[in-house]
Formats: sequence, C-alpha cells, structure tokens
Amino acid sequence: MTKHEFEVAMTCEGCSGAVTRILNKLGDVKFEIDLPKKLVWIESDKDVQVLEEALRKCGKEVKYNGTK
Amino acid sequence: ASVVDIHIEGMTCNSCVQSIEGMISQRKGVMSAKVSLANHQGVFEYDPLLTTPEELREAVEDMGFDAFLPE
Ligand SMILES: [Cu+2]
Ligand SMILES: [Cu+2]
Repeated sequence: MTKHEFEVAMTCEGCSGAVTRILNKLGDVKFEIDLPKKLVWIESDKDVQVLEEALRKCGKEVKYNGTK
Repeated sequence: ASVVDIHIEGMTCNSCVQSIEGMISQRKGVMSAKVSLANHQGVFEYDPLLTTPEELREAVEDMGFDAFLPE
C-alpha cells in the first residue's frame, strides 16, 4: 500500500467530517487527517487520481503532495 | 420551478454552508440554493425537468454531509 499526502483546504470540523465520510464511502483506504495543517494522508492501492477526485467532492481545493 | 427542503447534518460553520451552496447552485437545473446552518437545512429551487430532489440529496451527500429528504 502506498501512502499519499494531500493538502485539502479544510477550515473546520465540518470539512474534516466531510472528508472522513467521503473516504469511508470510497472504501479500501486507511487515512489520517490533520485539520490545523490541512493535510490528509491516505494509504491505499487506488490510483492517485481516484483519491484526488474523491477528495475534490467536498468542494475544497485539493493539492497532491506526493507519496510519504 | 419546484422547491425542496433537504435536511443536512454535519455542517459546523459558514464555510460549510458556502461550499454546499456553491456546489449545488452550479448543478444543472438548480436555480437557487439557500442553506441554513442553524436549521440544518437547505432550500433548493430547481427545474423538475432537469433534476430531482433525490439527485440533489445525493449531491449533498456526495460532498460528505448527511442529507435527508422530507418525509
Ligand atoms: Cu469547514
Ligand atoms: Cu464549516
């Protein structure tokens, strides 16, 4: 499994809650969210594009920082 | 136009409100989107020929919020 780091422009617990629900729905991912740093780490075998698209659904800006 | 009230859970602040209003108002068939944080509710004006309340509910849910149509 690869661990990816994304920057998501989350501003509140509503945002991190939304990201949590989106990723749980996507399934087959392990993830960690750091709200103050606006970072999301995802461990998954899925394509980066699939992960990024899922994150984008929350309506916030998403940036891929690479693998960690 | 038709109007649907969707109950929305999981919003915590005005930026949540704005992201939902922004995303949903861009959808095909949606004329207006007004979300209230205090009432946990979104009021959406839509063209019934182009979209349905269920599609709008799903769109809100896709964004990571819990959304329910009125019974
Ligand atoms: Cu937020
Ligand atoms: Cu918020």
